[in-house]
Amino acid sequence: MQFYNLILRDLKLAFYSSTNFLLAASFLILVLILIPFVFGSNVSNFSLLFRGFIWISIALSILLTLDRVFNSDYEDGNLDTIILTQISIELIVFAKFISHWIANCIPIIIVIPLAGILFEISIEDSLHIITNVLAGSPGMVFIGSAISALTLGSKRAGIYKTIIIIPLYIPFIIFGADQESSLVLLGLSMIACVFSLFISVYSLRLYAE
Amino acid sequence: MYFKLPNKIVDELRNWLPILSLITLIVFLVGLYFSILNSPPDYLQGDSMRIMYIHVPAAWLALGSYSFLALSCICWFIFRNPNFNLFAKSIAPIGAIFTLIALVTGSIWGKPTWGTWWAWDARLTSMLILFFLYVAYIMTWQSIVNKELAAKISAALGVIGFINIPIIKFSVDWWNTLHQPATISKLSAPSIHISMLTPLLIMTFAYILLLATLFLIRLKIEIVEQKILRANK
Repeated sequence: MQFYNLILRDLKLAFYSSTNFLLAASFLILVLILIPFVFGSNVSNFSLLFRGFIWISIALSILLTLDRVFNSDYEDGNLDTIILTQISIELIVFAKFISHWIANCIPIIIVIPLAGILFEISIEDSLHIITNVLAGSPGMVFIGSAISALTLGSKRAGIYKTIIIIPLYIPFIIFGADQESSLVLLGLSMIACVFSLFISVYSLRLYAE
Repeated sequence: MYFKLPNKIVDELRNWLPILSLITLIVFLVGLYFSILNSPPDYLQGDSMRIMYIHVPAAWLALGSYSFLALSCICWFIFRNPNFNLFAKSIAPIGAIFTLIALVTGSIWGKPTWGTWWAWDARLTSMLILFFLYVAYIMTWQSIVNKELAAKISAALGVIGFINIPIIKFSVDWWNTLHQPATISKLSAPSIHISMLTPLLIMTFAYILLLATLFLIRLKIEIVEQKILRANK
């Protein structure tokens, strides 16, 4: 029950201010809008470009939102209060992962077919892309949250957090661009979930001391 | 405090480092003589393959130093002995420079041989990622002010980055890419002629000595730095 309350709390925080909720999705669209400016509007194969760029923009928009997983709670002291409750840290971290994924990746997934229309993607193709994103984005969120938990205490974390996270995103982007491998992505997400839980719990224990 | 080495070790290092540096210099000169003047050119690539004598040991030791770094971090998690963090911290910049040497010499060799400075080949890309892992490790130490906390965080980071090492090692076997597969690992019958193997082995030995010398210098600097920090408290 406490687990659901934690998720509900984070979701309420995310959805009360509509800017938070719209940020990731609108950032994704804005990155995609840059493609025609780079390659000109006469490119014959926009759908191929779209399939690659969608993963880059998903990675970037997840990176953009990572400050809100642990950092905001850490800065205003709420994280200490949550850790002091009787709930185990593993459950807290898992609740954080899930609520962050719902608050940021569900809007992205809703937006993908709309963006697909702009780039002449057929419905079937955008369904394929959505399955891949559904399978892969949890892992990306988990890894990003774990690394941002690890770098909570450093002053310039925002700068070098990305240097650590982007190499870890490479497997997701490799398999994400391939349409047939949503099961591989699901496996990667599960592995990422296990390791990220360990890392986040380890680092939260460090900072809670 | 995050290290517990005996104070005597700085004096010992001060005595032995000049001798070790001299030996390194001599072995390097011998190795360079054999690799540049006293070895046959490749029948296909001509003299441009001589850069291999610089490139291959640097790449081997770049992987080796990261493995050392990650193993030190793992040992720190097991034994909680702060010296392991000091070892990892000392070897990180050296490994980063060796990775850079391997990447740059590889590009210089690739221009006449493959016809391009850079290819998005699995091994090249994973070596580039290795460089950024080193950079991230070094930046963790620098950006976290509380050094005890930095020791814990960077140890976790070093272990995470260890995933990349087997990927680099086996990338040439798993994916059929531009970079050639390993030649030396088949110890029974290496697919390289003995006249080229000898200079390569001498150069590898010289690189190992260089790594050891630089590592000990860095270790000495770290210890002295910690002493100064503690004296100023």
